[in-house]
Amino acid sequence: MIKGLNEDQTAALQELANIGMGQAGNSLARIWKEFVHLSIPRIAMVDASRLPDLILGFVGDTAVSASRQAFHGGFRGEVLVVVTAKDRNGLAQLMGFEGQLDAAEREEVLLDIVNILGGACVGGIAQQVSAEIGFSAPSLIGEDLDPLDVINPEQLAIDTALSLEVCFQVENRSLTAHLVILLPNNEVGALADLLDQFLCTL
Amino acid sequence: MSVSVLIVDDSPIARKMLKRALPPDWDITIQEASDGAQAIDIYRQGSVELMFLDLTMPNIDGYGVLEVLQAEGLNCIVIVVSADVQPQARERVLAMGAIAFIPKPVNPEGLQEVLRQYGILV
Repeated sequence: MIKGLNEDQTAALQELANIGMGQAGNSLARIWKEFVHLSIPRIAMVDASRLPDLILGFVGDTAVSASRQAFHGGFRGEVLVVVTAKDRNGLAQLMGFEGQLDAAEREEVLLDIVNILGGACVGGIAQQVSAEIGFSAPSLIGEDLDPLDVINPEQLAIDTALSLEVCFQVENRSLTAHLVILLPNNEVGALADLLDQFLCTL
Repeated sequence: MSVSVLIVDDSPIARKMLKRALPPDWDITIQEASDGAQAIDIYRQGSVELMFLDLTMPNIDGYGVLEVLQAEGLNCIVIVVSADVQPQARERVLAMGAIAFIPKPVNPEGLQEVLRQYGILV
């Protein structure tokens, strides 16, 4: 069970995220022209103050790149994608970039990834709970960041965040992208209400 | 006569969603498994006629279950129900003996059409 959601709501969110990530996998497979093996998304609600430690736990003590995309509508928040430099380069290769990437190309990769993963995951959840949702343009948080510096909890007006860890495997390459969905405090309740409505249909 | 159905999915919500999509007046007995290993155990008891199988699961995944079933003679009808909607996933499971692939979220009409198409539901 995750904080702010009961056991049934948590199970529903897990499955809806799974469906969303399946759609993301299909989008990535079409772009990459490769079969993408997806892990079961690992989902948890964490205190915002623990977000830097969470990201450090995801990637270890290595530099990361991160991008973000806001969403609004039936519930609102922001989705962040964090990848290591190695995984960013692996993703770039799959997207058809070759050789040393310049800053604009690296940014394009990171914005595409948050767009695809965030859109599919949050969009998939929203679609299943019959919520209308829209997305703002993605933006780059930064590159070569210390994992502890990706998010400054003191600058967030939230107490909790939803973390979702997704691993991809493409042939012999294993790539991991980490998604964190930031939900403002009052939006956890809105999501819980939407999940309850969904559960009532079962 | 009642059809013996096994629903295999690690998500209790997904199992509920599938049960809800089944024809309400269909004479079936339902067993459930929450991972591939449990599904194989139930299958080996010999009573399963129709298996709805998820692909992405802990312990043994859906592909692993299909491998075991194939090795043991595939003595039941398998319909894969998965969120992994890549065309290659569909091709792969059909090549491994599943008769159909149904994408999640399950559409009741689509599911019933598949059941009728294969004479499982008359």
